[in-house]
Amino acid sequence: MKQLLLALAAVIATTTFAQEEDLFDLLDEGENQQITFATFKGTQLINAATNETPGEGVLQYVIAHRFGSFNDDYLYNFFGLDNAQVRMQLDYGVTDRLNVGIGRSSFLKVADSFMKYKLIQQQSGTTPIPVSITLHSTLNYRNARYTDGIEHDLTDRFSYMHQAIIARKWNRSLSTVVSPSLVHFNLVPTANDPNTTAHVTLGARYKLTNRMALTGEGTLLSNREFSGGERFTTPIAFGVDIETGGHVFQLHISNTRAMNAPYWMARNPYSVSNGGLFLGFNISRVFTIKE
Amino acid sequence: MKAFLSIFALTISLSASSQQYITRQGTLSFDAGSPLEDITATSNSATAVYDAADGKLGVQVLMTSFQFKRALMQEHFNENYVESEVYPKAVFKGKFDDGRAIGALTIHGVTQDVNVPASLKEESGTAHLLVEFEATIEEFGIDIPGAVANKIDKQAKILVDCKMQSR
Repeated sequence: MKQLLLALAAVIATTTFAQEEDLFDLLDEGENQQITFATFKGTQLINAATNETPGEGVLQYVIAHRFGSFNDDYLYNFFGLDNAQVRMQLDYGVTDRLNVGIGRSSFLKVADSFMKYKLIQQQSGTTPIPVSITLHSTLNYRNARYTDGIEHDLTDRFSYMHQAIIARKWNRSLSTVVSPSLVHFNLVPTANDPNTTAHVTLGARYKLTNRMALTGEGTLLSNREFSGGERFTTPIAFGVDIETGGHVFQLHISNTRAMNAPYWMARNPYSVSNGGLFLGFNISRVFTIKE
Repeated sequence: MKAFLSIFALTISLSASSQQYITRQGTLSFDAGSPLEDITATSNSATAVYDAADGKLGVQVLMTSFQFKRALMQEHFNENYVESEVYPKAVFKGKFDDGRAIGALTIHGVTQDVNVPASLKEESGTAHLLVEFEATIEEFGIDIPGAVANKIDKQAKILVDCKMQSR
């Protein structure tokens, strides 16, 4: 009996000692679910939107320029600066997931508003989520006068873009985005032309250092040729992101000049082959309004 | 003799099992701010373990669990400073001995020996660990660019406040 007791005690004691040995292992057994951060530096890749939004209580101001083309009296126009297209944007992080904003562009004097919502966030840990999905919608109003001599309704001036931004950060350097999108113009050249067109944006960024990254994007489109003889091209752009504290500088070269999604995505008349190549930049600055 | 031995073994096994403490909701905060910039962050999901029998003490925190007041600062902290994707956690492994926490502290993949004053109060099934100390950011290989050097305190004040339960 005594022997049995001794054996039992020894077993219990050993188990406990074994547990002690593993005390530090307990540290690793806890919660390890992590939301992937900083898939992209900015809320925009170049022209295309990324899955990112400013955090809650953050006001963001973005100023963007698209300079004149290289073959349009380039030096006379001071490297295209003299005929730059400009867009300004002000947006706010209502919550960490919801972002709303307004913008004004010199291209066709388009005013816009947009909403972005982080539906799913990429996560690692015990229940990993492989991608982030952000929903993004823009409403655009053309203020520019029509020159076709026809009386236009107010509704003619509206266009829309809706998209699901599917992003993945593969590792700390490489992030990619695939964004199926729909563009709708209330007014199209003829009744034979589609009001709604489908598009897919493909984009990527590769970080060179902690504060610098290369970016690139291109957008496939469903309808290139319209009945009026217009032909629209595939928008492409390459750039570099430079981050300094509260600013992100994005310098790039692209074949587009418009900065509102329906126009650069679905109505881009320029192509590199006939000199349609433009330098441009986006600069964003964030202000924490609510801490 | 055998009886004595068995009682002895039993005592050890019982006491050992009742002298281990753990929490997964420990508070860990730091302040690396300066008059120019308020840089503070808090995590409420630090894990702490303590064995009263031999004084073994361990604390671990996920870097991404630190909450900053500013979203951008939090992103910069994780992406540019502590590089959370490569070094996801900070760990202390050591002992509590006579009012001091002595052991190895690993942050940003760099391990430094620490020996700092600490308090650990055991009371009716709980153990309350309280440590306040300073760590030199550079010693952990965390790079501070010149442009922001005067905004960040090179000595980060770290506060550990963990109420552990016996397990």
